[in-house]
Amino acid sequence: MAETNTDTGLVGSVGTALPTRSDLAELSSSRKALLLMAPLLAFEALIFVVPFFILLRISVTEGSSDHVYEPGTWSLESYAVVFNSGLLHDIILYSFLLGAIVTVLSVLIGLFYAYAIWRSSGIVKSLLLLSVVMPLLTTLVIRTYAFNPLLSPTGTFNDVLLSAGLLSEPIQFVPATAGAVAGQLYIVLPYAVLAIYSVLATMDWGIVEAARDLGASRPRSFVEVVLPQVIPGIIVAAVISFAWSVGAYAAPDLLSNGITFAVHAEDLMIGDMRYSLAAALSVVMLVLMLVSVTAITLVLNRFGGDFDLA
Amino acid sequence: MTSTLHRETLETLAFRAGYLALFALLVLPLLVVVVTSFAASGRLAFPPESYSLVWYGEFFGDLRWLTAFENSIIVGVGTAILATVLGVLGAFGQEIDDDSRIGSIVGPLVLLPLLIPPVILGITLLMYFSELGIRGSYVTLVLAHTLWATPLVYFVMRSVFSRFDWQQLDAAADLGAGPIQSFVHVVLPNVKQGVFVGGLLAFIISLQEFVMALFLSTASTETIPVLAWTEIRQALDPMVSVVSTFLILFSLVALALAVLATNLEWVSRQLS
Repeated sequence: MAETNTDTGLVGSVGTALPTRSDLAELSSSRKALLLMAPLLAFEALIFVVPFFILLRISVTEGSSDHVYEPGTWSLESYAVVFNSGLLHDIILYSFLLGAIVTVLSVLIGLFYAYAIWRSSGIVKSLLLLSVVMPLLTTLVIRTYAFNPLLSPTGTFNDVLLSAGLLSEPIQFVPATAGAVAGQLYIVLPYAVLAIYSVLATMDWGIVEAARDLGASRPRSFVEVVLPQVIPGIIVAAVISFAWSVGAYAAPDLLSNGITFAVHAEDLMIGDMRYSLAAALSVVMLVLMLVSVTAITLVLNRFGGDFDLA
Repeated sequence: MTSTLHRETLETLAFRAGYLALFALLVLPLLVVVVTSFAASGRLAFPPESYSLVWYGEFFGDLRWLTAFENSIIVGVGTAILATVLGVLGAFGQEIDDDSRIGSIVGPLVLLPLLIPPVILGITLLMYFSELGIRGSYVTLVLAHTLWATPLVYFVMRSVFSRFDWQQLDAAADLGAGPIQSFVHVVLPNVKQGVFVGGLLAFIISLQEFVMALFLSTASTETIPVLAWTEIRQALDPMVSVVSTFLILFSLVALALAVLATNLEWVSRQLS
């Protein structure tokens, strides 16, 4: 940021001496900038914005028995199905429940782990960072799949707990919601850790030390000094965890019997080829998620603000 | 005083135990994958009863896996090239003119696809590409993956450009260099590590992406994660572990290269 300021400052100072030349430079620089950004903007418009308008359009067409939808028609029947179907209500509710549980766990554990990375140094810090970066760079298919031999009734965890005498009979972690939560948590946790860590990394440890010198206990210095400052990181962590977990596909499908919206939508699209209904369901989910994400952000912001006032 | 000290020692111990346990839990699933790839039997168990290289032999004899591997590389390279060009140019443009109105929407717009559940993106793009009649081609996969890879390249480059000394560019212009000349000879040498890391991350994102690929690929364009998914839904045998081990190895090498070009701390912070 500072560098760009000096850049414009330089143009400005030349400008006072030679107004015509600077006007020209100013104009050509913003045109150059636009030209450079044009491919990116065109790409986002064509591959991201336009497709969502197509989705919106398809969501208000009539379903068809021999096509994926009836082109050119207008109908709200798909939305009526989404609003009236008890099955879809259950599916949406389950998706949000899974999303909420995973988000809370992800933010809490992420906060703790990011703090541990921030406080460590040398080889320990590198190893801790590596332990979040490596899963993040591994396909979620593998991350989900690895939980099967670990969590199944004949799996590693049950074996260990049984032989330690902590259990009398194996627990069915998979297929069950517990397995889906564990799998999904493993998918989003690395992002949560890094989002919080990148905010922590810009913080000055001296402030925390000052609070401790003034008599704050360690947990208290964390809650009152560190926490309010990392609220922006926590918001990013919560939003990413929530958006991805509400839309979770692989973990619930492979590790539980519960059907999330994503699993059902894939069935509608690929299995039943009911495009209108899949589109309407996606639109409804996007709206619901937008509302919840806004609420989460507002609540967390207020939380940060309250601490600032205290 | 002694009780405070005692409590602080306990706190430190609990803190260490906490993050070491988490470390183990984070590494364990990857370890399971790598170890089970050396299993001798067909049953997926951790730890395996006996070890062998049987499943590696199977992998290199299996045409389906080799084709999927090729597909993944094609899509990954395509994504890396497209995302790098778009991201580098976009970030450079915004750096030249920081306070333009259009510039201020670029950041959020580029970031937004990452916050949409991949299933919704997959559904949306499948409908769109079907309308356009280009369903199932490599192009669709590259375009979809670029949607996710571009934000990484873009923000890596923003961070790199913000540390670049822009007066050098003015100096080059004063010395008579044209815009392209000064970009190639002045800007690029200073930011090439950032471009390299950005492209590498874009490749890895594409290599590992699964949900959009599931929607957009067909039997002839399916990538490694998609084939792995179909396989594990049918049978849990160590073959997927072999493939996964290769993918993990790929990421490890890419990460090592990125870290060599910059450092782990910086790379990690770019990923969030």
